[in-house]
Amino acid sequence: MRPVHAGSRSKLYADRLPGTILQEPPHLSAASSRDPASLPDLESLMCGYQQADEAAARVFIERVSPVLLRYFLVQPLNRRFADDLMQETWMRIHKARHTWRRGEPVLPWIFAIARHTSLDSYRKSRRVETREIQVEVMPEPPASTSSGDTADLDTLLAALPASQREVVLLLKVSGLSVDEVARATASTAGAVRQKAHRAYRTLRTLLGRREKRVEA
Amino acid sequence: MPIARCELCWVEGRNALKPDPIDDLLAKAANRPPDDAALAAGVRRAQDAILGDLRRVRPLGSVTRSALLFLIVFALAAMVAGVLLGPHGFHVLSVVDRALIFATLLVVAVVASVASARSMRPAAGPKRGSDAFLLAAIGFPLLFALLFRGYSTIHLVHEGIPCLVAGVCVALPTGLLLLLLLRRGSVLDRSEAALACGTLAGLAGLAMLEIHCPNLKAIHVIVWHVAVVVVSAVLAWVIARFVSRSSVQ
Repeated sequence: MRPVHAGSRSKLYADRLPGTILQEPPHLSAASSRDPASLPDLESLMCGYQQADEAAARVFIERVSPVLLRYFLVQPLNRRFADDLMQETWMRIHKARHTWRRGEPVLPWIFAIARHTSLDSYRKSRRVETREIQVEVMPEPPASTSSGDTADLDTLLAALPASQREVVLLLKVSGLSVDEVARATASTAGAVRQKAHRAYRTLRTLLGRREKRVEA
Repeated sequence: MPIARCELCWVEGRNALKPDPIDDLLAKAANRPPDDAALAAGVRRAQDAILGDLRRVRPLGSVTRSALLFLIVFALAAMVAGVLLGPHGFHVLSVVDRALIFATLLVVAVVASVASARSMRPAAGPKRGSDAFLLAAIGFPLLFALLFRGYSTIHLVHEGIPCLVAGVCVALPTGLLLLLLLRRGSVLDRSEAALACGTLAGLAGLAMLEIHCPNLKAIHVIVWHVAVVVVSAVLAWVIARFVSRSSVQ
């Protein structure tokens, strides 16, 4: 069995195996067709970034951007602004880079910043919407680009309260562990478990109802 | 074929060992790669913006170290102000009163300091700013009600206003010092950080009053001394909300 280096990206995914649904995303696997053990881990890249190592910062951005973009794309409210949110998150990460300490997990730190970027964006859009003036003729909405699965997921997740939805997405889509989600959301592991449990119960009920309807 | 163990098995009971359609849906979302062109453009934009402004930074100290700094500011502000104004209150308190009041002050101040230190950095653990505030706002009235007697409302306002003003006058500069410390980090939740720092600054005002004020009537201490903490925390929270709203716009 290939040895897993502590803190390496391989470990980030490997420690959820066996049995988690999360697999290393295909685009990351393609990018890392070299021996994964030879890749620098996120922690050393972050250290390099703090020390103004340009190569480390470049690789760090390449490595984290897909994870960030997916985090924003999977949230229906943020999907339209995913690119801008990713840029805004990078600016905040850059400003806050001195607050990360060696030995702490990198991903929860990044997701805590991304989460607040997303919250601020939501508040801003809410505020703008309340001041918008309704035009007489509404422009045609753009054709939906979401696939059937995305629409399914959106419909299901829309039934969840925001905090539960966030926990499920961080756990199952972004692939964080319970402790990491607790760190990212400034919560406790117990609270995260409870939210995930309630979210799964609701989702299971909704899926059950839908299946009954299809059968009928 | 072995059944895959779901990460949520601790919440799902034995049903978790069955393949779950919810997991399938979420797995599809997790494994769907973002649009390559958009991702490449985003990465390039981020790299251009960040690499042009790449400077070496010194990592912030640990939460414990930051909390200790907050605690030192609190203790210094309270003691210096108390001694400067005269420790009349300290002399009239019994040994038991002193031990209970200052031990409680220390405990609540530690909670508020840790909350302030955590709010300085992302993903530093659960925020406890509101806990510190509630602890102070509920704990101290209970403690003072146990220790002191006297609920006569004669001269209540007349005697109380100077205490409130003196307490807030100590809390304000302490709050500004705490803000300087807070600015060394990166605050994500301004309201929570303000509540923690406001509570700590208010506690400095309260500690000063316990050192200085010789009025041991329960009603006076419960209403006017504790009001310093409440006013300081609420003021800080309101200012933070206002600043957050302005910056979001």
